[in-house]
Amino acid sequence: MSALIIFGLLMMLMLTGMPISIALGLTVLTFLFTMTSVPIEAVALKLFTGIEKFEIMAIPFFILAGNFLTHGGVAKRMIVFASSMVGHWHGGLGLAGVLACALFAAVSGSSPATVVAIGAILLPAMIKAGFPKSFGAGVITTSGALGILIPPSIVMVMYAVATNTSVGALFMAGVIPGFLLAMFLGLTTWYRARKNNYPRQPKASVATRIKAFRDSMWGLLLIVVVMGGIYSGIFTPTEAAAMSAVYAFVVAVFVYKDMGLKDVPKVLLNSASMSAMLLYIITNAVMFSFIMTNEQIPQTLAEWMLAQGLGPIIFLLAVNVLLLLAGNFMEPSSITLIFAPILFPMAIKLGIDPIHFGILMVVNMEVGMCHPPVGLNLYVASGITKMGITELTIAVWPWLLTMLGFLVLVTYVPELSLWLPRVMGML
Amino acid sequence: ADPIVIKFSHVVAPDTPKGKAAEKFKTLAEEKTKGAVKIEVYPNSTLYKDKEEMEALQMGAVQMLAPSLAKFGPLGVKEFEVFDLPYLFRNYDDLHKVTQGDIGAGLMTKLETKGVKGLAYWDNGFKVMSANKPLKTPDDYKGLKMRIQSSKVLEAEMRALGANPQVMPFSETYQALQTGVVDGTENPPSNLFTQKMHEVQKNATVTNHGYLGYAVIANKDFWEKLPEDVRTGLDEALKESTDFANQIAKEENDKALEAVKASGKTEVYTPTEDEIKAMQKALAPVHTEMADRIGKDVIESVYKATGFDPSK
Amino acid sequence: MKWLDHLEEIFITALIGVATLIIFIAVVHRYASGLPLGAFQDFLLSIHMSWAQELCIILFVWMAKFGAAYGVRQGIHVGVDVLVNRLNADNRRRMTTVALSAGILFTGIVAILGARMVWENGLAYVALNALGMDTGSHYEGPTTPDLEWPTWIVYMAVPLGSSLMSFRFMQVLANFWRTGDLPHHDHGHVEGLDEVEPFPIVEQKP
Ligand code: NA
Ligand code: NA
Repeated sequence: MSALIIFGLLMMLMLTGMPISIALGLTVLTFLFTMTSVPIEAVALKLFTGIEKFEIMAIPFFILAGNFLTHGGVAKRMIVFASSMVGHWHGGLGLAGVLACALFAAVSGSSPATVVAIGAILLPAMIKAGFPKSFGAGVITTSGALGILIPPSIVMVMYAVATNTSVGALFMAGVIPGFLLAMFLGLTTWYRARKNNYPRQPKASVATRIKAFRDSMWGLLLIVVVMGGIYSGIFTPTEAAAMSAVYAFVVAVFVYKDMGLKDVPKVLLNSASMSAMLLYIITNAVMFSFIMTNEQIPQTLAEWMLAQGLGPIIFLLAVNVLLLLAGNFMEPSSITLIFAPILFPMAIKLGIDPIHFGILMVVNMEVGMCHPPVGLNLYVASGITKMGITELTIAVWPWLLTMLGFLVLVTYVPELSLWLPRVMGML
Repeated sequence: ADPIVIKFSHVVAPDTPKGKAAEKFKTLAEEKTKGAVKIEVYPNSTLYKDKEEMEALQMGAVQMLAPSLAKFGPLGVKEFEVFDLPYLFRNYDDLHKVTQGDIGAGLMTKLETKGVKGLAYWDNGFKVMSANKPLKTPDDYKGLKMRIQSSKVLEAEMRALGANPQVMPFSETYQALQTGVVDGTENPPSNLFTQKMHEVQKNATVTNHGYLGYAVIANKDFWEKLPEDVRTGLDEALKESTDFANQIAKEENDKALEAVKASGKTEVYTPTEDEIKAMQKALAPVHTEMADRIGKDVIESVYKATGFDPSK
Repeated sequence: MKWLDHLEEIFITALIGVATLIIFIAVVHRYASGLPLGAFQDFLLSIHMSWAQELCIILFVWMAKFGAAYGVRQGIHVGVDVLVNRLNADNRRRMTTVALSAGILFTGIVAILGARMVWENGLAYVALNALGMDTGSHYEGPTTPDLEWPTWIVYMAVPLGSSLMSFRFMQVLANFWRTGDLPHHDHGHVEGLDEVEPFPIVEQKP
């Protein structure tokens, strides 16, 4: 009963268009004022302590690093490199876009940021090269989603925080699914480009490729800093995020020199503002899940579901449908933070691996980012291409279908996610 | 009438000694008060985390907790840090002379000025040192990155050994040891084993250099407003669950140490008397260093109660 | 109000910058002090960095609270606008007013709750003591474990940040009534990328 009231209220408030964080917060307050004996001061306390966790601090650091990379010319050099490698195949710059997104995803933790970094440079170039606008928009919108699947990933940090799983193991679990999805998206691009005979790049010489690689190497090295740093035990994930921010700053300002020292405060401010927005959602979502726990809602739901005799297969199907529905209205951080604490106890009771569950949630979030009415990647792409959302929606369909197929694969083949962290001894 | 609901929150798993003792207390309390109270146990930080539970208790947002004794220093009762002093208690007998005697009761009274009612001491156990190399003499600790929980005393302890103390939440420790962010740590065997830390540490030494324990506490106003008969019932339940807690803590720690040995993943070393002496000598300065902080009188009263001679 | 805008911006910029620097230094220190460098190692080991994580967390929480206020005037807080976008102009105006008022209300309530928490958590004790009054049932609050700062000072981020945020929502609402405009954050816009030189690979097109 209280679950229905809580969710009904939340839904109503969200539909007024107020920020999701405020809607979450007001739901909690209303509930506290009217229906529980939890002292109201606990709310203010949770608003501070809700994010008082070192793991969460990876988020601002990764955002900062991402901003330095975007402004510092790293994305541009990755595109040139990707294009020199695969630009001559069917799909040309489109295929290069998929590869560049995958490379950038390996240094950035956010999907919209990946769309911006790669799309803002590549999309105008694709149009100039003679690709239909919709093709380019479709490729980049969906490939940009790799940003949260290929580590590092802000959404994985949020899942880890919401469910107390290991950030490091989640990152490692995302590697193989990330590669696979990039390959599937590339295949879709290749197939459509071949069918429509889209333009290709001339084959780059070996010398050109080597030069492009060397130019982009400073950016690519960040993969070593983050993943290598975590797995060799030099850093904790949060420290790795901080180091990558410092590294990205050095590369942008002193190595590539695409950015001057005078631009640094602006990047800091923008990153702080973006991080604050996410941290604000986290705080309110933490309060929301605290209320749910206090009312024993996840526990009750889990018991109810077990009593129905639901097996893992049906449960995972239901989870995917539920999350895809949620993806219609909300962005990934909020979905993860609201739903993970509720679904997680059920998944555990059914014997589903927490890491596998996290990866399937992330892939599901990727799909949600690419379709309307609410899809951050779509908005970003629309901002870059000046295309309408409806037009873009049609443009992304072929890749979105690929992603849905991939979601089924990841959901029902846990080994895709679990094999690598297991051989690395992280499970 | 509806039963009085007592929310009892703690931060460890239900199958740890403390988790089991909390469940035991729930059963006993509900039985002895004939259903006048209902205890809701929230394990694993589901309600409040390590960092906020104390404030939540002070506000009355939760009624009972069982935090580790190290949590009372930040609360403003630094005398409790005496329990972290290395080699202060030689064994459980020494320890129980303090926790179950006048000193323990006196310390609990000090909590009342903070709005906290101290009810009972629950043991976890004595700590072992672990790392990826044999730890026999104090020199072996030189430059090692040793994970500790937030505590000025433990920090001083590691520094006295020449190690580099790294404050880190318990939840991050396994990963940090596994990857090598930190080299070693100190734990009672049950924590070492249940957190699987022994799988990522090559060596452990049964130094028994320090003690880890908990205090069961309640919100003072809440506790004092309980009906007399209910409180009597709860006191009885506490007494029995304390015996239970201490007994299983000891059992589990012994079992865990055997299990670590049996696993073959960590070489467990029992130091000789001379080696213990050397450790005691290296760590003795911590007692004096921390005297101003903890209070000379508290430390000396403990010396007296246990017959500990700091000059030896 | 320009001075407040600037102060807010400088404050959160500094917070994220300093936090990054601190963690960088702490990591470097951890490794440097593990190297067998004799007296230099002893010197490094004598430097205490165990407060770094705690300080980083505090800086970021302050950044989050004040950055959220800054975000209001940047229009960065995402909401669900599916329904609102389908309404006619008049209803949309009403709905937006409701949404912004909700922002004022929530952040206002949090500011008050936060102030009460800070008061109960140790400010009352300090204030009453300073005034030589009876502290009654107010006790001295806890400190943070590593830095040993009184937590009531640290928790001030909640009432201060939330008050500022409530004020920012009021400003946005007033401006919306006056001009009909809302601050809008364009997630697709990247500063500086508009001026990038033409993409080199296009020229190789056959
Ligand atoms: Na990524
Ligand atoms: Na969507």
